[in-house]
Amino acid sequence: MPAILVEGLTKHYRVKVREPGLGGAVRALFRPRYREVRAVDAVSFRIEAGEVVGFLGPNGAGKTTTIKMLAGLLYPTSGRVEVVGFEPWRGGPAFKSRFALVLGNKQQLIWDLPPEETFLVNRAIYGIGWPEYRRALDELVALLRLEDVLGRPVRQLSQGERMKCELAAALLHRPEVLFLDEPTLGLDVNAQETIRAFVRDYSQRHGATVLLTSHYMADVTALAERVLIINHGTLLYDGALATLAERTLPVKRVTLVLAAPVPRAGLERYGTVREYEPPRAVLEVPRQDAARLSARLLAELPVLDLGISDPPVEEVIRAVFAAPAGPADAAIWSAGAAPAARAAAREGRQEPQEAE
Amino acid sequence: MRPGEASAPAVGRREPAAERGPKQGAAGLLTRYAALVRAAWLTDLQYRAAIAIWLVLGVAQPLVTLAVWWVVAGEGQVGGYDQADFAQYFFALMLVDQLTLAWDVWYIDRWIREGELNFRLARPLDPIHEAIADNIAYKMKTGALVLAVWAGVALFWPAVRLEVGPGRFALAALAVALAAAIRFLTSYVNGLLAFWTTRATAIAELHFGLSLFLAGRIAPLSLLPPAVAGVAGVLWFPYMLAFPVEVLTGAVATGPELLRGFGWQCFWLAAWIAAYRLVWTRGLRRYGAVGG
Repeated sequence: MPAILVEGLTKHYRVKVREPGLGGAVRALFRPRYREVRAVDAVSFRIEAGEVVGFLGPNGAGKTTTIKMLAGLLYPTSGRVEVVGFEPWRGGPAFKSRFALVLGNKQQLIWDLPPEETFLVNRAIYGIGWPEYRRALDELVALLRLEDVLGRPVRQLSQGERMKCELAAALLHRPEVLFLDEPTLGLDVNAQETIRAFVRDYSQRHGATVLLTSHYMADVTALAERVLIINHGTLLYDGALATLAERTLPVKRVTLVLAAPVPRAGLERYGTVREYEPPRAVLEVPRQDAARLSARLLAELPVLDLGISDPPVEEVIRAVFAAPAGPADAAIWSAGAAPAARAAAREGRQEPQEAE
Repeated sequence: MRPGEASAPAVGRREPAAERGPKQGAAGLLTRYAALVRAAWLTDLQYRAAIAIWLVLGVAQPLVTLAVWWVVAGEGQVGGYDQADFAQYFFALMLVDQLTLAWDVWYIDRWIREGELNFRLARPLDPIHEAIADNIAYKMKTGALVLAVWAGVALFWPAVRLEVGPGRFALAALAVALAAAIRFLTSYVNGLLAFWTTRATAIAELHFGLSLFLAGRIAPLSLLPPAVAGVAGVLWFPYMLAFPVEVLTGAVATGPELLRGFGWQCFWLAAWIAAYRLVWTRGLRRYGAVGG
């Protein structure tokens, strides 16, 4: 049984259209106009127990809406969702005890009290026995290095410390599934790294399934081998991060350090010059030609050093979103995992509007 | 309860005993309340000064009103109330007001509008319990404080002394408990209107404005014009405040009067519970439909 099963998940909102000005306000009062917003449109995927999956997409792409449906906060308009065997909306306390939802922009910690007070409240709410609570707390304190912050009021903690405590509060009941929505939002690089290391460690120790949304590519590349990419409510890609680069940007980067100056035009014979700061230069070449061209570069130019790498994942993702958005692309990328999206593509469904 | 809260898990999943989630029985609820009340108490301790100010503001209104009636009654009885009666009424009002105070509309409105409801909905406990625990914590503290102040004042000012036997005290306690429950629910349900409107707190202001007259804040209900008193008598307002005050002072003392008062309290409590269930279920469905 998969930990998360999503089939044809769709969420449409009807929102009132407000025209500017007094006239618009009066008109809206008597004859309100509505616009249908397709926040999530026929999204399908399955996540096996223990998988860590990155969920990527620009603002308003439908990530948070999807996560809220998985956590049972929102009703789907149509489609099927199952999380650890429960239909989220109907799961009740039994279901809620088996997942954790961490929202990077909203905290559950009690602002004026030390974090341990929130932990004690959650201990009671989740009905965790004292020995289990102690064990879980000790583990979380050690993994997140919380010794020094447990006794200080939350309002005095840094944002990074707060997020660490937020995670601890959410994980005391040892959930099997973690929905992490932007857990590193606004944190400095060190704090981001701590959170990443912790999520990786936690998921490995407890076999927890993690669905993580983030704006920071580093989060996703550090944690998830598999990514789901969503835009305009449609799933564009479901698969390995590595494969995504091959399909979207089938290029390699060749970084050169030259022993003698070579004019820019001299380099352009080999590929696209992405950076030119002599003695260093970066060329972009077709993936399949990378080896052959590198050999030629070494033979024909005064090369001191040469390195071949994939383009940065940010650029790959940018390329995904820059590609003509729409179902046709979904059909190309969602290999096997999103039949509904492909069906939509075949029908040439209209591009959904942005919403979150 | 949320829709389907009590329903069985979907897709015929076998549920080992250990995986059924937190205990839902009375013992489980008691543990949760103990933790929530403790946290609320500790939070309130952080706001000692703010609470002292609210308390002063809370007792100021009845005291000012008392001062006015004291002067008016200086020339003789008003509607059967002499100066000492007014003093007792408004001191009792001060206490009952603190014990039934409900501010939940402000919190619930914020939870809904600012997305703070989300993590609460993701936890295996209906958010109303957090609000109830908050109320218990606050009222234990301020109630004790007002009672102490009243006892202190009564030492020097015989007018406000009450001859309360154990029987009347028990009846008053019951009336106060029911009143607190009704007033809490009106505020909580009012807050839930934030599922539909951004003006939930404005509605609360209107409700408070009406309660000035209809709940007996400005004057004992018997001093209101009969038509107004008649309307008030069938609404929930007096049963949130005036009725328990009058049970405490002894103004309501006969069997039929008590029976009618408690009857109305039970009726309005049931009605507000029904309203809460309806608004919560519908509101969640709407929240679920349009998002938070």
